[in-house]
Amino acid sequence: MREAIEGSAAIAQAVAFCRPQVIAAYPITPQTHIVENLAKFIAEGRLSAELVSVESEFSAASAVLGAAVSGSRAYTASSAQGILLMTEVLYNIAGLRIPLVLTCANRAVGAPVSAWNDQQDSMAVRDAGWIQLYCADNQEAVDTTIQAFRIAERTELPVMVCVDGYALTHTLEPIELPTQELVDSFLPPYHFARSLDPRNPISIGNLVTPEYYTEARYVHHRALERAADEIVAADRAWAEICGRECGGLLAFEGPNDARVGILTLGSVFGTLADAREEYPGIPRVKLIKLRAMRPFPIVAIQRACHGLDDLIVLERALSPGAGGIVGAEVRAALSEIPTPPRVHNFAVGLGGRDMPLSILPRLLETIRTSGPTRFNFFDLELNKVAEEDR
Amino acid sequence: MILTRGSFARAGSSLEFNTGDWRVKRPVHVHRAAPCHGVCPAGEDPQAYLARLAGGDPRAAWQMLVKANPLPAITGRVCHHPCEWHCNRARFDSSVAIHSVERFLGDLAIEKGWEYPVRKPQPGAPQVAIVGAGPAGLSAAYHLLMRGCGVTLIEAQPVAGGLLREAIPPYRLPRGIVQSEVDRLLTAGIKFLPNQRLGRDVSIEELRSDFRALFLAPGSEKGREWNVDGVVPIDLRSGLELLKEWASHGNLPSLTRVAIIGGGNTAIDLARVLRFTGVPEVHVITFQTMPGDVQARESVMSALPRQIEQAIEEKVIIHDRRGVRRLILRAGRVVGVEMVQMKEITLDDGRHEVLSFEGTESVLHVDHVIPAIGQEVNPTGMESLLDQRPFFATDSWGRLHDDSGVLAGGDARGGWGTVSGAIGDGRRAAIAIDSYLKGNPLQADTPAAPITFAELNINYFEHVPRTEIAALSVECRTVETEVESGLNSAQATAEGNRCFSCGECMACDNCWTLCPDNAVLKTTDHASDGSHYIFDYDHCKGCGLCAHECPARYIAMVDEP
Amino acid sequence: MPRASAKTDSLAELQRRQPAFRGLDTGHLACQGCGQALGARLVTEAIGPDVLIANATGCLEVFTTAWPRTAWRVPWFHSLFENAAAVASGMEAALKRQGRPTKVVAMGGDGGTFDIGLQSLSGMLERNHNVLYVCFDNEGYMNTGAQRSSSTPHAAMTTTSPIGKERMGKRHLKKDILSIIAAHHIPYAATATVAYPSDLRQKVRRGLEIEGAAFVLVHSPCPLGWGHDGALSIEVARLAVQTGVLPLIEMERGEVIAAMQLRTVRPVSDYLKLQGRFRHLFQNDPHALEELEHLQALANHNIEVYGLRAESPTASDSEGADTVRRGGLRYA
Repeated sequence: MREAIEGSAAIAQAVAFCRPQVIAAYPITPQTHIVENLAKFIAEGRLSAELVSVESEFSAASAVLGAAVSGSRAYTASSAQGILLMTEVLYNIAGLRIPLVLTCANRAVGAPVSAWNDQQDSMAVRDAGWIQLYCADNQEAVDTTIQAFRIAERTELPVMVCVDGYALTHTLEPIELPTQELVDSFLPPYHFARSLDPRNPISIGNLVTPEYYTEARYVHHRALERAADEIVAADRAWAEICGRECGGLLAFEGPNDARVGILTLGSVFGTLADAREEYPGIPRVKLIKLRAMRPFPIVAIQRACHGLDDLIVLERALSPGAGGIVGAEVRAALSEIPTPPRVHNFAVGLGGRDMPLSILPRLLETIRTSGPTRFNFFDLELNKVAEEDR
Repeated sequence: MILTRGSFARAGSSLEFNTGDWRVKRPVHVHRAAPCHGVCPAGEDPQAYLARLAGGDPRAAWQMLVKANPLPAITGRVCHHPCEWHCNRARFDSSVAIHSVERFLGDLAIEKGWEYPVRKPQPGAPQVAIVGAGPAGLSAAYHLLMRGCGVTLIEAQPVAGGLLREAIPPYRLPRGIVQSEVDRLLTAGIKFLPNQRLGRDVSIEELRSDFRALFLAPGSEKGREWNVDGVVPIDLRSGLELLKEWASHGNLPSLTRVAIIGGGNTAIDLARVLRFTGVPEVHVITFQTMPGDVQARESVMSALPRQIEQAIEEKVIIHDRRGVRRLILRAGRVVGVEMVQMKEITLDDGRHEVLSFEGTESVLHVDHVIPAIGQEVNPTGMESLLDQRPFFATDSWGRLHDDSGVLAGGDARGGWGTVSGAIGDGRRAAIAIDSYLKGNPLQADTPAAPITFAELNINYFEHVPRTEIAALSVECRTVETEVESGLNSAQATAEGNRCFSCGECMACDNCWTLCPDNAVLKTTDHASDGSHYIFDYDHCKGCGLCAHECPARYIAMVDEP
Repeated sequence: MPRASAKTDSLAELQRRQPAFRGLDTGHLACQGCGQALGARLVTEAIGPDVLIANATGCLEVFTTAWPRTAWRVPWFHSLFENAAAVASGMEAALKRQGRPTKVVAMGGDGGTFDIGLQSLSGMLERNHNVLYVCFDNEGYMNTGAQRSSSTPHAAMTTTSPIGKERMGKRHLKKDILSIIAAHHIPYAATATVAYPSDLRQKVRRGLEIEGAAFVLVHSPCPLGWGHDGALSIEVARLAVQTGVLPLIEMERGEVIAAMQLRTVRPVSDYLKLQGRFRHLFQNDPHALEELEHLQALANHNIEVYGLRAESPTASDSEGADTVRRGGLRYA
């Protein structure tokens, strides 16, 4: 049924359909509405779950970890500072191969303190070993969240569903919500092979010596690589029953003979798509929507960039002192093909800076006039910066 | 090894890892003697039978007891119980009432008709002769039977028992008890020949030729000569002689004011018998001191403290630290004794010396004096073996000469002359005879170094008062009624539970409870070392916690082999 | 179940048939005489097999679960250092939802409880999860080499509170964790020690039986860290109680409702002189004497505050509570 609801409410509804038994969360803008909605569902009897209002994000991640390992489907959500606080637990969860779903309502990480949207938080934990999927709009947020539980439970890898804070969470969009029956047919009851059980006691979380550590890490790495298949399969299976797909690992739109491509993650994709409508005279451009950041779909990127002369990587985070994060990984992926496009890497919209539709023609103009850009802040206003800091 | 998903591990996998390799020392069970076992003259192991009694099996307790002593109902009444003096519990609250428990078990065995663990000898069994059916002879007979010998027991009197029947009064040792214990022994397979006196009816040479070995336990029938200044009355008779006559015939001379000389059990027994039979004034004079306020080096009266106490209650007047310098006679009859203060002290080399203090004389008016100063062996028929000595000279086993197959024991060997000592002598002699007959080397019988109080871990014990023996009130006492009562089953078991179990496992579960490595395993039946626990040496790290916390010091830490 | 026989059963058979639940089995890598190993063994014995354990990082976790081996025979989970209580909260929520009666027990050392894990513990207690939290207090970060924690006693030597011209060991006092626990008003909290194993097991069972959050602190001597022979661990632990240094109390909703009475109060020096970490207090030095007096005063304060001096002997006081009997027969 299609209705106009706030992104957070839609995500909460999607989570509720997946029948989690334990939800643990600590309030942080802009995740709060998701959890508040879930709390309301529980109070109204629409969702049968334990809501543990923990005393920090560290405990939120720990509590859902405890629940998942005890045989219950669990869920949490956080942003920015909270994601960083729970980082130690995120590594722990992934290393132990525990299925969990976490919504990251993307927000800038202090300092400086910012409550607004960029993707520094999820980028900062890309090495924790989680599957990371980015949503371009709230419909994708709903669909990806539901798929995430299935992917997690089949791969024994936790899934982080990244949703741009405010831009998506606090925005009303028309959403097609599935029914409980549809979700039930897609997502079976929670089953985790290593659930703690007094009838078959095992010890989880052991010390691993140098003799075996490398192999453990190898297994984890390979599992993430192979999860790519499951991510694609889940999207297809979901599309089969509800008619919508999110694009698997990566999707693109635009003319096949476009020579310029723009790769981006999250809601910026929508902005660019709208801009292309708004500016019909601009050169033909292929818009590439990177959905999976982890596993990093090297082959899919290589294929998507085939035939391009220029690729703009537009990202919402950076690695200070080095440059773009996604840009660096894309460049590495493209270095394997014989004639890679020139890569222009820009950070944009940091800390919630508005991205007007005019960004598209300006991007295309920039790459035409000034050669390949290794990395730059596209919407920087240098007049705000002191002389000595330039 | 193949990595598990998420590196989980399965329960029980730690057992593969043998942490026992870390050990430098390992715990072992070491049985050591409790002090009661070390000092028992009869060689009993009270800890062992107390354990069985506390475990609810009095029959097993009695069977353990009679491995050493066949007469517990008797010794449980007359023994001087050094076990209680050395009991480690005495340093904690009060000693275990071992003596009373022994009596309880002995009486119970009589009541239940329990049988000795001996069998009648097989045909062709080696024959041994025993002279004297007192406690030493009876014990030797029993222990020889236990070792498969045939025993002929020769006794000068018409009945067996020796001093048990002849001298210890019934208010201390009821005749029925003596009868039961002695009868049970005699019917166990001993050939008993009463009314056979050595020298008169049978000779040493006959015995030596007819039997493979010979044990002499004739007691000390002859009174020691009393050394006192001046003349002695013609009708002077020794205390033991009078007691025996009273015990067998009920005769006593008519007495008004009596002085008994001596500080041993005979003196006290006679004193009490005289009081019970109505003698108005009975004095006991001894140069030893009464128990209680004992000064350095002083000898204490050898009579049992409780007996002395009861005697005083019965108005026997005891003059301790005094001796008789001379008798005061008129017309051949005693009218008084001159006493002087005296002291018997022990010198550094162990010898005793009696000091007498001039200027402390006093006169006690009595009309009769009875020396009870000790006995000697009546040499009739044994002159060659005694060789003019008052007692037989033997080694600790009772052997007169090595390999001669002739041994002696009991009062005839001298020493303190106790019933339990005599029983011990009989046992040791039987062991020596058994070795002699089989041609085996004689192995020492002494138990390993006893546990001291300091070695126990008393943190785990709780104070429990001792059950004291009740005695009849003075008004109710007669010469024929037993003065002291025994313990009932609950009391005896309670005393058994007070035993610290020095040097032996009491299955308290401490080691099992406190091992950080779960390396002590509990078993229902006894392990080969007699304990209830087994060490898992694959995993024991040798930390020593179990040894340190064992209340009874049963675990020792020894170097890893 | 037929009991184990010394004569007929193999060692493996004997291990399997022990009349006590071996939740923490043998073959772990704890030091000889480790108080914490003993404590954890006693705790899991009292709990039985129907439990999920959430264990914080520390000695216990490290010496029991070096892959591929584990010494635990119950379901056991180790996440991180500071979150045992939070993990346990999630476990409890899950089991509640699933309708399973299995208990959840969180375990942590003093470091993971008093310090880095205090927040998650406080959260768990405030939400009153039906979890028993057991803290094994060996008074320092022993796993990492005996550094001081807030639980380390005043004047104790550790690697980060060493002795020297300027210092006499740890400057600060031992954190008063009991008052912190009391302020949460949970249904049950208690202190216990390995020297009184029956008392310990009884308290664990009480903590397990009540509905809601429970906290039991188990004082656990560390031979290596405290500087004493492994064989003396029980003696040291017992003296901590008998000197008043470690009050054995029970609290309900923050109120002290029971305290083990001391039949004979021992001087604090009896406890201190057995341990190398207090050796410096016994040299001829005015500072040493001052600290010795201070520690005695702290013990005296405990005795007064918790009313520990016995008026008359009882079977549950400091000398009666560990009484053994022929044949076993303990009250817990």
